[in-house]
Amino acid sequence: MRPPSSLKQEFLKKWITGLQRCSSSKRNMSILERTKAIKLSADVAMASARNSTTCWSRALIANASKDGSDGKHLVEQILGLESERLMMKKASTGALVCNKRIRSKKILKRSCRIPRTRKCVPQVALATSIAKRMVRKRTQVLKSLIPGGEFMNEVSLIEETLDYIISLRVQVDVMRGLAGVSELVNHN
Amino acid sequence: MSSRRSSGQSTAGVSRISDEQIIELVSKLRQLLPEIRDRRSDKVSASKVLQETCNYIRSLHREVDDLSERLSQLLATIDADSAEAAIIRSLIM
Repeated sequence: MRPPSSLKQEFLKKWITGLQRCSSSKRNMSILERTKAIKLSADVAMASARNSTTCWSRALIANASKDGSDGKHLVEQILGLESERLMMKKASTGALVCNKRIRSKKILKRSCRIPRTRKCVPQVALATSIAKRMVRKRTQVLKSLIPGGEFMNEVSLIEETLDYIISLRVQVDVMRGLAGVSELVNHN
Repeated sequence: MSSRRSSGQSTAGVSRISDEQIIELVSKLRQLLPEIRDRRSDKVSASKVLQETCNYIRSLHREVDDLSERLSQLLATIDADSAEAAIIRSLIM
């Protein structure tokens, strides 16, 4: 895992690039437009700092490029020439990941159908089935929160979640820092 | 990363995703979550970990949204005054 401080710097650099491009192209943005632009630049910068090594970062960038011309333009600005290569990479890995997911689901179903040799007391069986249902439900929620989560099997989902949470924290720390600095400057 | 490599092999070859792998990943996840980390580390169920994870991610998302809004209002007022914008720029670069 990369040390957080270099991740922060990389995120900051890419985010500032995105922000500068945004503000140079549109002089008089409304507050809402600017908020969206700031958030979009931050998300794309955070994802590109991973250099398409994780599924969530690829999915995030793909989604950003889909949302009309603003997103696509921004992605191109921040990623530069890499953006085209990344788009093509996402298209090819999408099918691969889908197949993996279907296969792992089949494997799981098959393994569940295999009768277990150890004896199960009825109450214990009920409790474990309820627990399994809860885990499944919560896993679905998690999949909806992670970009591109619907295509992952359980193991990848947890790995991606770990990386996603670390990146989100970096994003929040850097944004908070900039907000604090801006407030100080504003008060003087 | 070795963990990534081994998980790839397990889904391709063996018929069952190993429990140890999942336990290891879940324990790593627990260490990231602020609430669970402070509690007793032993008896935390998988569903509780997942729930805390989802809550944590949602709260981080909300914070990003709030910060974006705050920054947007701050930067809007700074744009007009070029001296302050220069200060910010010099601090960032």
